[in-house]
Order: sequence, then structure tokens, then C-alpha cells
Amino acid sequence: MRTTLAVAALLALMPLGLPPYAMTLLTEALIMGLFAMSLDLMVGYARLISFGHAAAYGLGAYTCGNILLHTDIPLPFAVLLSGLFSGTVSIGVAWVCTQATGVSFSMLTLAFAQLLYAVAFKWTDATGASDGLAGIPRRPGPFGTTFFASKIGFYYLTMACLFGGFLFARALVRSPFGAVLRGIRENEAKTLSLGYNTRLYKIAVVAASYMLGGMAGALYAPFAGFANTELLFWLLSGQVLIMVIVGGTGTLVGPILGAAFFLFVQQQLSIYTDSWALFFGVIFIGFVLFAPQGILGLARRGRPTEQHR
Amino acid sequence: MPGMHRRALLMSALASPVVLRHARGETPIKIGMPVALTGPAGEIGAQMRRGAEFWAKHTNAKGGLLGRPIELVIQDTGGDPASCVRKAQDVVERDGCRLLFGMTLSSEALAVVPKLAEWNAVFMSSDNGDGRLTGSSLVPNFFRANTSGPMGTRAVSLYLRQAQFKGFYAIGMDYAWGRNSIGVFKDEIQKAGQNFIGDVYSPIGTKDFSTYIAKIRQSGADACFIVMQGDDNAAFLSQAKQYRLPDKVQLLTEIVDLNSIAATGDASIGLIGSSRYSFTFPGAANAEFVEMWKKEYKTVPDTFEGEQWQAGQVLAAGIAAAGSIDAEKLRVALEHVEIDSIKGHVKIRACDHQGEQQGFMVKVVKKEGAAKPTPELIATFPADRVTPGCGKMTYDS
Repeated sequence: MRTTLAVAALLALMPLGLPPYAMTLLTEALIMGLFAMSLDLMVGYARLISFGHAAAYGLGAYTCGNILLHTDIPLPFAVLLSGLFSGTVSIGVAWVCTQATGVSFSMLTLAFAQLLYAVAFKWTDATGASDGLAGIPRRPGPFGTTFFASKIGFYYLTMACLFGGFLFARALVRSPFGAVLRGIRENEAKTLSLGYNTRLYKIAVVAASYMLGGMAGALYAPFAGFANTELLFWLLSGQVLIMVIVGGTGTLVGPILGAAFFLFVQQQLSIYTDSWALFFGVIFIGFVLFAPQGILGLARRGRPTEQHR
Repeated sequence: MPGMHRRALLMSALASPVVLRHARGETPIKIGMPVALTGPAGEIGAQMRRGAEFWAKHTNAKGGLLGRPIELVIQDTGGDPASCVRKAQDVVERDGCRLLFGMTLSSEALAVVPKLAEWNAVFMSSDNGDGRLTGSSLVPNFFRANTSGPMGTRAVSLYLRQAQFKGFYAIGMDYAWGRNSIGVFKDEIQKAGQNFIGDVYSPIGTKDFSTYIAKIRQSGADACFIVMQGDDNAAFLSQAKQYRLPDKVQLLTEIVDLNSIAATGDASIGLIGSSRYSFTFPGAANAEFVEMWKKEYKTVPDTFEGEQWQAGQVLAAGIAAAGSIDAEKLRVALEHVEIDSIKGHVKIRACDHQGEQQGFMVKVVKKEGAAKPTPELIATFPADRVTPGCGKMTYDS
């Protein structure tokens, strides 16, 4: 808890010293961090490998975009509502996807995300089709404040969502519920034979994961002022999975670092080459082969006691 | 400089020692240009980039603007609106650009313009077609120096009033510009009491048009209006030729450009359409521009190279009048800019920031002995007939 507070304090001080461009990058890193962390709930704790997590992000982004474009609901509430909506929709998705396990589960999540992608292309009224939703505003409020509409205010809102999401996710995985999830991860048949309805647990964790992922997408829409089908595309699903693995699965903090690392490397490499993805691929392979515990695993290697804290 | 490999930094002042002396010590005017250099619109973006580089080099050789050299900061968007927003944000926040060019697709421009106020940046469009940019989506810092989609479509429909066709079909790229232009065309055709049979839209990047061509053939239309550009346009025209569509149907298009003609060869002969710019346009200013261009690139300038040049000239006139690149002053100055351009007289309207200019109709012909077909001017319409009412996309008469 002390580390969490220290990191929060450090991030809260960032706007004082950083130029606008760095603030933009940092805000995006926090949004992606929340997104990657949400996927870690599924991948790291219940071994539910989703190839379609962009669905959560896109759903959140389009929902928030429409709320902000067409209603007066204040920004923070719009973000929360979008997260809840995304989580609710995912209950149906999870109900279907958890019929299968392993690779089949992954394929079903991918299929569902691609289905949403196709729908978004045709449903012009809600998504703007290939033109996307442009000019998504940051509505003022609540209580008349315009703070969250400002660049720095939006950064603090993002930070609050990330830390709120992190505390929620951590409480979840440390609870008895989280213990059952880990049981599913290690040996689902055994957990089932102990009398746990593992499928319900899986559906619940997918819903929690989609809710947080949806919140990340919901933050992205007013951050960029724009949402289009890219946010539902499999490429994003692949990228977020890479962030989770590079950061370190089953740690919650790792994927947040992974997201920041991914964005940073992308930013730096793309200055020198258009084929940055190629080089990132090499980095990714390196992590899988030599540091399967990810960035967090590397950081903890020197401090073995930390692992069992 | 870390961005050197990726960003094509244009410091043409370096090429000319005389100018260097004047410009030394002056901070450059940076113009950010997020533009589609890859993807289906890549060829158009490449034209825009060449046009901008040529304009910057020419302007710098004359001492720059306000005595400051122009520096272009070019970024590839791939033609994706989300990426375009990010790249535009990059050039504004990281590179400190307060002026913007580029944004090849209308969908990219529509995504970016709501951000202009926050960035305090002015965007001068050289190719965005969607009428909404100077209509319902107009923002104070957006200006359009080029012929818009509705204006190009209007030229076609004015021309058609003299022609006799039984029925019209329309095909467009499935995004902002395609749908907007066909909407205007349909409105024009129906107002003229003619028969509009139907329309169809192909996703950006479509390679195989056989089903679309079959649809057009079966519709019974004897004229088809095409709203496409770049690779899609070239693919459609050459496949239309393979399926002998031009034998049955007169092809009309909103944009005739040399690139598509070169890509389709003789398949483009007989194509009638509006032209936003062609090296064959009349006038001394254009002749001079074409000569300068030929000297630099050993070929004639294409549609978006000419349009980009014109956009540059409009921006330069605005900056000169404002004496500053500060968005607030520049905006006021640009609202009163009038120049004699390569396309004739251009006047920026204060009410909707659209450049009033003539409309041109061309027909693709192959002159005897010529290696490839060229667009030949067949009709010119005055600015007040092709430019829509302020903030509008449709026409009353």
C-alpha cells in the first residue's frame, strides 16, 4: 500500500514539471495501463487468454463517445457508465465464450470482437462507420466544475480511474473469489470437483475485466476527441496482450508497466523507422524467451523477498 | 536531430546561400503536415507532399514568409483518422507547429478540426472534399483553399444539364467524401427532373469491383457518377474497361487526375469529369507554374500538386496580410484573402472559410501522336455558380 501511495503521489506531481506533449503521452500510457491491467485479470488470474479484448475498449469508447456527444452527462459519470455498460454486455459474451476452453475460448473472443468491428462499420448512426465519431467533447461537471475538461484535470481523472481500477482489481484477486480464480488457473477440474461452479466465476471475471477495459476505452474517446473502428480491431487486441505478457502476467502492476513500456518504445522507435513493429516483435520474443515473468519479474529478480510479500 | 530520418524536414534555405544570409537567425515557420503517404490514399498524399515541398522551396528562395524560412514537418497517417489525430497532436505539441497542411482524407480532417481551437492552430486544406467541413462541422481555424466535393459535383451536374441521359447510377468510396458528394449529386439530378436510379459504396481499399460493376450494368443506367480517388479509382476504372462498362454507360467522375489516367492508360479515354486542377488549365499564371514544376520534376504537375500550391499561396497571402502566424490574427486576415491563382481568381469567404473559385469540366482524350491520354478542358463555370451558399452543401437553382 505504501508503494501504491508513493507512485500515486509521484504521478500526481507530474503535471508540474512536464511539457504538454509529455503529458499527452503520459495520459495515454495511463489509459493503456488500465486497459492492459483489465486484461490481466483474465489472462493472469484465470488463464482466460482473450484475443478480443479490443471489444471491451471499443465498446467503452463508442458508448462514452455517444453519451458525451448526445447528452449533458458529466465526463466522469460518462466514463463510469460506459465501463458498466461494457461489463454488462460482456456477461452475454462470456456466457457464450466460456462454453469453450483454451484455444477455442480465445478464438471465440476474437470472433466476437471482429463481429463488433463489422457491426461498427455498418452502424453509421451510432459509430459514424469508417469516418468514426469526431469532436467528442469533455463535458463539464459534475457540480459545475470544468476541471476535468482541462488537460491536467483529464490527466487526474485518468489517474483516478487507474488507481481506482487497480485497488478494485487487487481487492478482487486477494479475496476468496480470487483464490477460486487461481484454482481455475492451476487446475480447473480440481476446482470444479471441490464444488465451485467455475463457469460462473469465469463469467464474473470476464465482466470485471470488460468493465475496467471499457472504462479505459471510455477515457480514450474524450482523450483523443475521436473514436473509430480501429479501437475494435484485432491489432489492438494483440497489442494489449503483448503489453500484459511483456509487463508480467498475474501481477496487475506488471501490465501497467508493460503498457507504458510499449508506448515508450513505439514512440522512440517510430522516430527512426516506420517498421517499429518489427523491432518490437524482436523485443517481445526476447521477453518470452529470457524473461517470461516480464518487466516486473526482471525488477523483482534482484529482490526475491518481494515475491512473497 | 532525431526525427531526421522520418520527418522530411525541408530547409530549402540551405540550398540557396543568398537566402541563408537573410534567413539566418530567424526562427522558421513550422508547418505540420500529417498526410497519408501509405495505404490506398498514399499516392494522393505523395502529391500533396510534393506540392507542399515545392511551394516551400519556392517561397524560401524568395526569402520565406515574414522573413522567416518555412519548415515542413511531415508525418505519415496511413489514411487512418485515429492515427491522423495522433500525428497532428505530435506535430503541434512536440514540434511546435501552429499551422497545418495535409490530412488527405475528409474523415481525417473531420476528426482533427474539433481540436484546432485547443491547439490554437490553423489548418489550410488543399484537398478535403466533404462539404460539412465548411458547413455543419466548420470551426473558426479551418480554411479550404481547394474545390470541395459539392463544388466538383456541381460542375458535373451543370454540365449534364446540356446532356441527355436516361438514368444515373453512382458509385463512391464508403467514407465521408464519397457519401457527401453522391448525396449532393443525387439532389442535383433530382432537382433537374432527371432519373437517379441508385447508388452503391465500396469500402476504402477495395481491389475487386466486379460485383459493383455488375450492379451498375444491371441497373439500366446509361451514365454513372464516380466519386473515387487514388488506388480505388484506378482499380475501378481499369476493371470497368475489362467488363466493357464504358460501352454501355458514360462514366462521369468528380475528380479527373493524371495519376488515375496513367494507371489505367487508354481505359480512361472518354471519361468526363470535373477537375480540381489540371496542367491544361488556361492562363499565364498556370503556364508559369507548370514550367517551374517541369524544371524541378521533369513532368507536369498533377491535381493535388496544383491544389497544394494554391493552398500554399492562399496561406502565404494570409500570413503576409496578418504580419503574424498567430491564429487569431491569421484567421481574420485569411477571411479577406483574394489571390489570382493558377486556377484563376480565388476568394476566401469570411462566412464559411471556403475558397470561391471556378469549376472546370474536362474530358480525357488521346491526341494523335501523344504517348498517353490527357484531360482536355471542355467547360468552365464561374465561381458563383459552383460555390454553394454560405455553409451549405446543396444548390437552389
